[in-house]
Amino acid sequence: MPWQNSRLSLLGWALFQLAAYSVLALPSLVIIGASLNPASTFSFPPRGLTLAWYVKAMETPAFTDSFLLSVELACLATALSLLTGTPAAYALQRYRLPALQPLHSLLLSPIVIPAIVLGIGLLMFANLIGIGQGLAALLLGHFVLTLPYVVRTLISSFSLFDVVLEEAAQSLRASRPVVWFRVILPNIIPGLLSAAIFAFVTSFGNVALSIFLVSGSAATLPVQMFAAVEHSSDPTLAAVATLVILVTGAIVLCIDRLANLQRLI
Amino acid sequence: MKRLAWSREVYFAGLLSPAVLSVLLILSLPIAWLVRISLYPQDQSYDLSGWSAVHYIKALTDDLYLESLARTTLYSLIVTLGTAIIGFPLGYAATRGRFRRWKIFFIVLPLTLSLIVNIFGWIMILGQNGLLNSVLLGLHLLDRPRQFLFGVGTILLVLGHTYLPFQILSVMSVVAQIDPMLEEASASLRGNRWVTFRRVIIPLARSGIVAGSTIVFILTMSAFIIPQLIGGASVQMYAVLVFQQMMTVLNWPFGASLSLVLLAVALAFAALFRIAGRTPEEQTGAVAK
Repeated sequence: MPWQNSRLSLLGWALFQLAAYSVLALPSLVIIGASLNPASTFSFPPRGLTLAWYVKAMETPAFTDSFLLSVELACLATALSLLTGTPAAYALQRYRLPALQPLHSLLLSPIVIPAIVLGIGLLMFANLIGIGQGLAALLLGHFVLTLPYVVRTLISSFSLFDVVLEEAAQSLRASRPVVWFRVILPNIIPGLLSAAIFAFVTSFGNVALSIFLVSGSAATLPVQMFAAVEHSSDPTLAAVATLVILVTGAIVLCIDRLANLQRLI
Repeated sequence: MKRLAWSREVYFAGLLSPAVLSVLLILSLPIAWLVRISLYPQDQSYDLSGWSAVHYIKALTDDLYLESLARTTLYSLIVTLGTAIIGFPLGYAATRGRFRRWKIFFIVLPLTLSLIVNIFGWIMILGQNGLLNSVLLGLHLLDRPRQFLFGVGTILLVLGHTYLPFQILSVMSVVAQIDPMLEEASASLRGNRWVTFRRVIIPLARSGIVAGSTIVFILTMSAFIIPQLIGGASVQMYAVLVFQQMMTVLNWPFGASLSLVLLAVALAFAALFRIAGRTPEEQTGAVAK
């Protein structure tokens, strides 16, 4: 590294990094700690160990119902994004024309459109066309939100997959569907899986769009947690948040095993 | 032969169109409808009819909203600059240095974790019964608990913390493409490490810093959940005002105007960042593969 001229600056640099990564992880660590602490309000140091808050979380229908809705929504959004995003990423990678650059930017644009603008717009539009708040409106929002991650991940997959293999199959008179199902898709399975997982996690954790689009009777888990954070600091919430942290952490490790995490971002 | 070329184009158009059309429709129709709503003269959410620019005039002349817009822009620039200064060395070290795998895990995890989990963690750290108060009281640095939440500094801290991973990842994606040979070449020409860093690495990584800064700026400009939960009523960030107009006051035309002003400012700054990042990038573009 450029600044490691002396031992002192090397030590300072190491400490800086250690501090930065500790702060990045700190909120999650505090939540995990609080979820295992028997005290009913936050206390430090902890007064013991308990799993009681997890039991209580499992017995709270508001959390279990919203968890199921979040999983359903994330699965549907991921499926839609993969179905439309995979062929689009393939076309953008294989058929490089300057004219396609705006389409590429368009597919990635939901990342840079402020969520509050898209959320309000979708809410107003859902009311206009009569679908109202609820799963359909949520699905539209989460679909465009997850698509950029799918497209970006798969473009990098396709760029690593040699086009010669497809041409060989075509020269052997394989039809296009056969090329897709027998040659292309089996070769990009790691990319497909990591795209799916990324899309799933993005949808599952989203609150900025969902808060506008959930119906009064059924909220997604993050929106339910938003309401709970506003009103109380019950350790049950810490237990729910810990489960979210563990599941997300496990998923991120999975992507890391499937494909080089750094290349995908 | 000609027929073959044509069918290839149709094939690629067919592959692209489902994604392109759905994004086009799902983005443009709601935003077009938002523009229409912002042009109704009424101050409510029902019986809307007619055309008027009255809400834009209010949004752009009323001191409350102008001041909030200026403050929000300033805060966003501070958060952007802060994440760039901290994120650049971290991103560089995470690409080149040791423990890469674990570093990347700790960068990506907060990014994929729901925003609400992060906020909840910060509330437990900074709240009246929180970790920080417990530690400070235990060390007798405070004699009674202090409220660390509900202030501008805290909001900026949590915003910066939440969006820092975007900046780090953006830097990593360009640093990974810089050939280490360039750094060695600079060193062999007796450039010391600081000179190498300033004259070789930063210019080559510029596009990544610009891309990361753009995302962080837009995210901060449009943040409403963090300011609302961490800042309470003390700080009126622009997106919080938009949220209140839409969801509490139910003045849809005015809320829609405010949201479009926010969009315009955010995109204008994104364009500025892009221009600021372009010129030297083109000079060095040939070197950075």
